[in-house]
Amino acid sequence: MWSIVKSHFHKGKTGFFITGLFIALSVLMMTVGLSICFGINTLYQKARVLSNSADCWISVFEAPGGQSQALLEDILKEKDYVEKYDVQEIYYLEKEEGENVDKRLTLYKPSGDNTFFDSWIAMNIDDENNKFRPHLRNTLEKEGYKFYVSGNMIATSSFRVGDGARIVIDGVTYYGYIAGIFDDMTRIYAPAYIYVCGDLYQEIAKKSSEDERISQEYNINIRIDCADEETSYKYQRQIVDELSNAIAQYNLDNLKDNPSAPILYCDYNTRQDFTDGTKAFILLLGTALVAFSVIVAVIVAIIIGFLVRSSVFDEVRNLGVWKSLGYTTSQLRLSYLAIYGVIGGVCLFIGVMLGIGLMPVFVNVVTGMARLDCSKAIGVNVGGLIAAVTFIVAVVAAVVYLSTSKVKKITPLSAMRNNIETHNFRRNRAALDNSRISLNAHLGIKSIVGETHRSVMVIVIVLIMSLLCSFVSVVYYNLNVDQTAIINMSAVETADFYINFENEDSSHYFDAIHNMDGFEADVMFVRVGMSIDDGFNVAQLYENFDHIRTQFVYKGRYPKYANEVLMDYVYAEEKGYKIGDSVNLHMERDSVVSDKSCVIVGYFQNLVNNNRIIGFLDIVDELYDKNNSADAKLFKHMIYFENGKAPSASELSSMLWAIDGNVKFYGFQTGKNYLDSMFLNTVETASEAVMSVFVSVTAIVIALLLVMLIKLKLLRERRNYAVYKALGYTSIGIMSQIATAMLLLGLIGSLIGALTGALTTSPILSMFGKYIGAGHFAFAVPWGYIVCIVLFISILICAVSMLCAIPVRKINPSSLLRERG
Amino acid sequence: MQDKKDVFVIRTEGLCKTFSTGGVQLHVLNNLDLDIVDGDFTVVMGNSGSGKSTLLYALSGMDRPTLGKILFDGSTITDFSNDRLAKFRRANCGFIFQEVFLNDNMSIMDNVLAAGYLSGKPRKEVYAQACERLKKVGIEADMFNKFPSQMSGGELQRVGLVRAIINDPKVIFADEPTGALNSANSIAVLDIMNDLNESGKSIIMVTHDMKSAVRGNRVLYLKDGVILNEISLGKYDKDSEKQRLDLLKDFLEEMGW
Repeated sequence: MWSIVKSHFHKGKTGFFITGLFIALSVLMMTVGLSICFGINTLYQKARVLSNSADCWISVFEAPGGQSQALLEDILKEKDYVEKYDVQEIYYLEKEEGENVDKRLTLYKPSGDNTFFDSWIAMNIDDENNKFRPHLRNTLEKEGYKFYVSGNMIATSSFRVGDGARIVIDGVTYYGYIAGIFDDMTRIYAPAYIYVCGDLYQEIAKKSSEDERISQEYNINIRIDCADEETSYKYQRQIVDELSNAIAQYNLDNLKDNPSAPILYCDYNTRQDFTDGTKAFILLLGTALVAFSVIVAVIVAIIIGFLVRSSVFDEVRNLGVWKSLGYTTSQLRLSYLAIYGVIGGVCLFIGVMLGIGLMPVFVNVVTGMARLDCSKAIGVNVGGLIAAVTFIVAVVAAVVYLSTSKVKKITPLSAMRNNIETHNFRRNRAALDNSRISLNAHLGIKSIVGETHRSVMVIVIVLIMSLLCSFVSVVYYNLNVDQTAIINMSAVETADFYINFENEDSSHYFDAIHNMDGFEADVMFVRVGMSIDDGFNVAQLYENFDHIRTQFVYKGRYPKYANEVLMDYVYAEEKGYKIGDSVNLHMERDSVVSDKSCVIVGYFQNLVNNNRIIGFLDIVDELYDKNNSADAKLFKHMIYFENGKAPSASELSSMLWAIDGNVKFYGFQTGKNYLDSMFLNTVETASEAVMSVFVSVTAIVIALLLVMLIKLKLLRERRNYAVYKALGYTSIGIMSQIATAMLLLGLIGSLIGALTGALTTSPILSMFGKYIGAGHFAFAVPWGYIVCIVLFISILICAVSMLCAIPVRKINPSSLLRERG
Repeated sequence: MQDKKDVFVIRTEGLCKTFSTGGVQLHVLNNLDLDIVDGDFTVVMGNSGSGKSTLLYALSGMDRPTLGKILFDGSTITDFSNDRLAKFRRANCGFIFQEVFLNDNMSIMDNVLAAGYLSGKPRKEVYAQACERLKKVGIEADMFNKFPSQMSGGELQRVGLVRAIINDPKVIFADEPTGALNSANSIAVLDIMNDLNESGKSIIMVTHDMKSAVRGNRVLYLKDGVILNEISLGKYDKDSEKQRLDLLKDFLEEMGW
């Protein structure tokens, strides 16, 4: 039987090669994709160890050694689950007052490009007491003070290790350079946190006593003693909530005693925030790899089906002879299974080896999306590998077995007649007698209808690939080009500025803002915790909805009255709330209790926040008095300017500095900046990468498919082409017949695929979106991109077909037609 | 006909064709000079490997000689590019092959039209001509949409013949046109070829079959790539077939066939 296997192999080397390539690609992607999905928690654990990250931190805007530190340390000492913590001294540096001074921290390139930080936080990389000194990478030694920045800053800016950095304190400029990248999972998305070398840190410390714009503060970094990620997240959240509540209570106590006491601010972050912001996208990448692998497996199945059926058709006579010699149908079918078993086995081995070899590269991409460098954090998952191999083996075996079913019907007698049906009733489709188009184009069309299996295969494969490209391009467009839909889904309002003042009386600052050219509105808002019927949740309350720019209500309407609220759609579905239902909101502050019954008038989606309710400020009027100066500090203001008239952040701050050199304010972050810091930057990069990969893979898959089909066609049709040449057809004419056929099939496939992809992207995302807080995607369809995809695929098909058909030129009618003559 | 000093439709000068196989050079055509007179039915005979088919394909421009010149209707086709040769063939040459080589995925009519539409004549006119000529060779309208696999060998060869003449070529080249046919079908095909020759078409036919060869008015005998000798049989007449056969037999015996 081995001789039969060898004869199959000799007649389809290109097809086998391409099938093998796809099998290897499929098993590679499935192994890697499953390894990423199965190993994501291990990845985070390993990344924590490799980067020496804390699990959470709280940063308090007060010098270390004060009352607040003692208060927080007392809480920490009581917690069994706190493995260790340290108190890290840091310095907060603000820009010099006035307009004619250099910026506080400037990063610059030799070309002159620069960026500056109005305020930033200096941490000492040489602090030996720091138990969570981060892992440094890409380090560079040269003359000057050293600055270490986060991976996110490098990824989202044009600055690189080696670029210049300088700070100006009290008129003295300290020159240095970006000496490396620090990996700290809890500070990756906090660009203001920058490590500096010990020398510079000491200089800053010295100056801090003379410069009131340099304030000494402290960080408490905490490591949770828990191997299980989910439990660790619970403790992380619990401890930062408890610590920040302690600071809030500390403020309230102070304000009670002294209403003019300054508020002590704090900031905190957890590793869970980092993983929440990245996990969905890493899993998405892993799932995309698995999905892509399944699609490649489908393509493998289609190609194998086509090759086996073609082979059975071409080999009818030989199969008949073998049957007459005594081979059974099962043995002949087994011969096909054997050849694909050998090819599949070799390519599976190659795919698995590639998977193992390339795993660090993929992990690097994955951790790179999260701005970390942990390429060796996880390896190939054995379960994933076995699942991938089993899947591909099952697909190949099933398809080969099913495709050889025609072998059963071949008898020695029918085989000797080449299985030609003398009584066939097929119709002469696309007859030439009615033709009005070019002869070569018409013959191209005839070859489409004459070879239905091949045509359907090309259409289906191109359809799948263009559908994927279209899907990815819609996602890319909505994440990178027009982010309106994603911002709407995040329910983060895109006001021009978010601001609040620490100063006792801030009315004159607001008056100045209100008098600025182009000022449109100032809307107060607050985020408060409250119980919705029976569970604790967070609500975002607005003074009014008259100036809202983000259309975050996707069903229903904005609240009009004080007792109307919007509810998070996923939460509403989970709890069974409907529009028109009443919901009881329970709030407490000190000893004051407030219960409000509100009507749900619409749904919003909650991609990044944990808000469950959006409503009017009136809901908390029994607890907070916005006219009271102490309470007013708790409210933030959204500042709106008329379209195109918004000043820059530095213009606004300059104006405020001009009023009062001692003004202290927080914010200036627009909704878009907030989303960038939360996840948009990451997904922008990820979607760019995915888009490039999909377009490249689509081009490769389609090109390989055409190479295989056209080589096969030239082999099978060479005699017909020789006759055409004898009749007077030119080589270019025959090549254009082949290209026309492929182009038409490609056009049909790409049009259907691209349109289907464009129209189904939002519904498909909506099916999975609930897991990331959004159950209703309404992505804009970039029709220009869709047209480009169809054009790209068509041009690709045309070019590849013409190139693959070049051997037509070598077809010599005299030698071919004489073969049997 | 040759004695009328008619116009030469094809003329070769010093035609050589050499094949290299495994380092061995095989001179199939050897400095061959030949004139084909317009309107002649020329038959080329010779032993296997004598260069008959090579000569046929070279004369039609389907193969390039290694050396020498071919003048076809006044044009030196050996200087033509491949594309120009293809265009030249569609206007001037018709081909009949032993195995017909119809495209199995196309109907009978489409096989004919695929050649006919190349002429650039109005398509309706070509279609009408195809219908007429197919009927003339005994292929009725109800068979036009049949596929090659549904027809007999004789019918197929007649369709191949119509395909060869659909563009009204100057010369019809036939490579063993009756080689795969039974006696009755061979006669039918040869009769059509004689009719075409009667109507003024030049025909060059390669054959091993004496009954086919007597249909020509000039028989060339090729040996080792040169024309060893030739015989003129005069215009074909059914009644004189036996006489022609004897003449040819003697000629071939003389040639050592």
